[in-house]
Amino acid sequence: MSQSQKRDAPKARPVSQMSWAWLGVMPFFIFAFMFLLYPSSTIVVRTFQDAETGSFTLKNIINLMRDPYVLGAYSLSIKISIVTALGGAIFGFLLAYAAIRGGLPRFMRSSLMTFSGVASNFAGVPLAFAFIALLSPTGMLTNWLKAVGFNIYDYGFTLFKFWGLSLVYMYFQFPLMVLIITPAIDGLRREWVEASENLGATTFQYWRYVAFPILLPSLLGCTILLFGNAFGAFATAQALTGGSAMNLATIVIGAQLRGDVLGDLGLGYAVAFGMVIVMTVVMIGYSVLQRRAERWLK
Amino acid sequence: MKHLILKNISKEYGGTTVVRDFNLEIEQGEFVSFLGPSGCGKTTTLRMVAGFEMPTTGTITMNGAEITNNPPNQRNVGMIFQAYALFPNMTVAQNIGFGLKIRKETESAIKERVDEMLALISLQKHANKYPYQLSGGQQQRVALARALANRPQVLLLDEPLSALDAKIRVSLRSEIRAIQKKMGITAIFVTHDQEEALSISDRIVVMYEGRIEQVGTPFQVYNFPETNFVANFVGTLNSAEAEVVDSAQGLLNMDGIQFKTSQEEMKGRSTGDKIRMSIRPERLSFAAELKKDNVLDCVIENITFLGSVVRIQVKIGNARFNMDTFNNPFLELPKIGDKSQVTCSQEAVLVYSGEATA
Ligand SMILES: Nc1ncnc2c1ncn2[C@@H]1O[C@H](COP(=O)(O)OP(=O)(O)OP(=O)(O)O)[C@@H](O)[C@H]1O
Ligand SMILES: [Mg+2]
Repeated sequence: MSQSQKRDAPKARPVSQMSWAWLGVMPFFIFAFMFLLYPSSTIVVRTFQDAETGSFTLKNIINLMRDPYVLGAYSLSIKISIVTALGGAIFGFLLAYAAIRGGLPRFMRSSLMTFSGVASNFAGVPLAFAFIALLSPTGMLTNWLKAVGFNIYDYGFTLFKFWGLSLVYMYFQFPLMVLIITPAIDGLRREWVEASENLGATTFQYWRYVAFPILLPSLLGCTILLFGNAFGAFATAQALTGGSAMNLATIVIGAQLRGDVLGDLGLGYAVAFGMVIVMTVVMIGYSVLQRRAERWLK
Repeated sequence: MKHLILKNISKEYGGTTVVRDFNLEIEQGEFVSFLGPSGCGKTTTLRMVAGFEMPTTGTITMNGAEITNNPPNQRNVGMIFQAYALFPNMTVAQNIGFGLKIRKETESAIKERVDEMLALISLQKHANKYPYQLSGGQQQRVALARALANRPQVLLLDEPLSALDAKIRVSLRSEIRAIQKKMGITAIFVTHDQEEALSISDRIVVMYEGRIEQVGTPFQVYNFPETNFVANFVGTLNSAEAEVVDSAQGLLNMDGIQFKTSQEEMKGRSTGDKIRMSIRPERLSFAAELKKDNVLDCVIENITFLGSVVRIQVKIGNARFNMDTFNNPFLELPKIGDKSQVTCSQEAVLVYSGEATA
């Protein structure tokens, strides 16, 4: 670039004139406002509002705290989220590590990534239906296993209870883990293994003192994200269990808002408010850990 | 007894030989550089000494014991990588103490050694910083301290300065050399920068396409290059095709222009041989004051300032030659396009067979 161009540069973009770039990002802001800010602020406002009079109240929160049905729903949501987050994180990490660092042919990695991209978004009615077709009492796999003399339903398995739902959740949990942990695994430098070996360390010591501590923030961050992913899931459980057998927090909200059960709109908003808080904590935890991981892996 | 012996080393990757017939003996406390262009096998050879690669043939002996197939964590050689090799989750002090911790030394012994190493690299103030808080040069000093803390038998450095900017490169290389001398440790330093190799080595191993081209002191390698490749790769060189017109007299003909060379260079040549003739730029000078064995008419084509040196490009016949003279404020430089005369001694005219390779 010549000297004169450099000097002219500020003149070419006067401060007063509206930049066209704003027009490009407007859809994003409109979208974020309409589907994120507006609904969540509505939830907050309505939580502290009397459904009939519209005046400020803590009634909804208090009702929530006293309602064993709602508290049970939270507890179930948290349990299934923890189980599938841990399961998905461990399985997803091992899978991603094997595909990236296991010395497997290159196509293994790209096919795993493609699969994960698709599977991590495969949820809701189609996912529930796929598992019903496969593992319900009359499902394909169930029948095949029966044919070889092994009936899983004789051993306490059922698709429509806790472990069945957990299994279904795993189908989108571990692919998500593969996708989000891959950058961290890629960030592990060959120099670190070699330097540690060179300094006398065994493979186990390398993992204990170097690789694991470096990956830890990413692993924790991703597990938290998986937790949030399961915690917010609604359609899959609704479709699989018809909304009766598994009272997750999301299902309770759905029921409240539709007026199915108690028809207490205020309570419905309070339950949703609780979820917003959990999700906010999750997002903050994830981004703090992610920032920490990036510092090391950059 | 030699400290480190590489005997008949070769390395193949899936049928391609990347290192061949590699024989080298290194004295205790010697600083040896591997110098050569990219892909000539320097890193591969160094990694075989470190144990990260196994030689296809040959043996490596250290202190009289064969280590050819020992795993890297049982060799006690210190390796310094090009960059980014510090553990990012550990402070400077923890990085330096890592090897000692692995060896299960006591806390106090580790602390003492770490402090000693920090003093050696003058980074005491940075003991509790993390690698990402250090500059590239500081990181490489920590890497050096970390390698040395373990009291390795041999220090291996794979282009440790190539990721740094020029100023730091020069100061850090003399720091590395000074520390190596002070500790009396045997070192192998890989570089593709000939100036770097010339300035810090006891001996240089010039490599090309997996082979050793020449092993010698910087003085030998620069002044008496044994092959055309070495002559071209180490230092700047003027090179032109010529023909021997009288091998007894040492007379060469370059496109009708006659050069005289020494008897030494005519060994094994006979009249009529097509050869390559080389002259270092600093061996040429203007003929105005002192006329040497060769006096040649030329035209000034270009003048370049290189700081302490001024490089003048002259055209002799159809060939272009560079001539270096020391810079000084009273230098009277010719103008581009001027006709002039340059001169050099017969010993300055080096003779090699065949085509240029670099
Ligand atoms: N793991 C490997 N598999 C196959 N070929 C390899 C492997 N490692 C190195 N090579 C090849 O061996 C040759 C020598 O490589 P090496 O890294 O030793 O070169 P180098 O002299 O260090 O070069 P540079 O200056 O670029 O670092 C190169 O042609 C390289 O492609
Ligand atoms: Mg290399």
